Amino acid sequence: MASDEVLRTHLQELRRGTVVVASLIALRHPDYGYSLLQRLTGHGFPVDANTLYPLLRRLEEQGLLTSEWNTEESRPRKFYRTSDEGESVLHRLLDDLAAVQTSLTGLIEGVER
Amino acid sequence: MTSLTDRYLAATLRTVPAARREEIATELRGSIEDMIDGRRADGRDAEAAEREVLTELGNPAKLAARYADRRLQLIGPTYYLAWERLMKLLLSFVPAVVALAVGLAEGTDGNGGDAIGKAVVAAIQTTVNIGFWVTLVFAVLERTNAKLDLPEWTVDQLPEDHTNRQIGLVDLAASVGWLVLVIAYLPIQHFRSFVPDNDGGNLPILDPALWSFWLPFLMVVLVASVGLEFAKYRAGRWTWPLVGVNAALNVAFSAPLIWLISTDRLFNPDFVNRWEWLSQPENLNNVATLVVVGTVLIAGWDIIDSSIKAYRNRH
Repeated sequence: MASDEVLRTHLQELRRGTVVVASLIALRHPDYGYSLLQRLTGHGFPVDANTLYPLLRRLEEQGLLTSEWNTEESRPRKFYRTSDEGESVLHRLLDDLAAVQTSLTGLIEGVER
Repeated sequence: MTSLTDRYLAATLRTVPAARREEIATELRGSIEDMIDGRRADGRDAEAAEREVLTELGNPAKLAARYADRRLQLIGPTYYLAWERLMKLLLSFVPAVVALAVGLAEGTDGNGGDAIGKAVVAAIQTTVNIGFWVTLVFAVLERTNAKLDLPEWTVDQLPEDHTNRQIGLVDLAASVGWLVLVIAYLPIQHFRSFVPDNDGGNLPILDPALWSFWLPFLMVVLVASVGLEFAKYRAGRWTWPLVGVNAALNVAFSAPLIWLISTDRLFNPDFVNRWEWLSQPENLNNVATLVVVGTVLIAGWDIIDSSIKAYRNRH
């Protein structure tokens, strides 16, 4: 059995890209940083706050998210939403994820056959 | 009193581009307060919750780097190999050349005792300077994202026979550097030996009479040695023809040197007479013996070493 450290790095690598995919899906419904963090964690995407907050800004700069300030509540909150461009990128990413899953399945079955 | 959150925000925002500072500040403060509220809802007291949240967010400098998309490395993978190669190349011969130049200048200036010390200090200073400036330039390139049009790696760059390559680029640079220095020194000592004669003029170290044949001959041998270094580098290792040429060049250089110094014809007689210690025949003989032994040892070892390496290549 590989050491915990090795396992942890590989899991981290595997998970890295999925945070972007998960965020783009989740933000089809506008949401702000902390609330999104809670939702992602609740759905099995544990992500560090210090990773997610800068990531949201970066996705916004890339035009994949749009944002709007909501000042009606107790404190001002920046709500992010997946843009049209973000939606088309998301489609490509999901297709690719599905392709990876299909390939893996094929590989597993091929080995067992 | 400023709260921990205020201090954390200030520390984070210090290195975030000014244009976005305000907005990031408002958003980050909101997020931190949301996180604190979340923990307080779990029953923590306010102070502990704040500490926990800020600890979770981690080092402000690291967070700021993520916001600014800044790299937390001095020299990244794009430039590291180029940096490493340049460092190795420069450090392989520049400090040695500087040390030799300083040592010779001091030694011929009559400060024999200081020469070695000053040469060592010069070598260390040169090493530190090369390390600092080369690294600085690459660190700036890394930060400015400058496009270095370094040639892409191609298969043609593969060494002919990697496992058996004995002579690398660094060896070539070091050897040629030394040879060029010696070649240059022969004429330089004639015009600028840093030893004044009694009238304050220049006193060549080697006998000027040798310029009629022997000094030009030695220079030709040294130039041929430079050629040999390049041939050796192209071959990548010692071969028997190279060993033969190397032996011939070693003999062609050492034999005249030994003969000249044994017959007291190498040094300028005026130079010898200027030093009371050196002008005594006994001392001059000792110096001559030392040079002869040193020359034989160096030339002999070079020939044996090259033969051993060529032999190993065949077996």
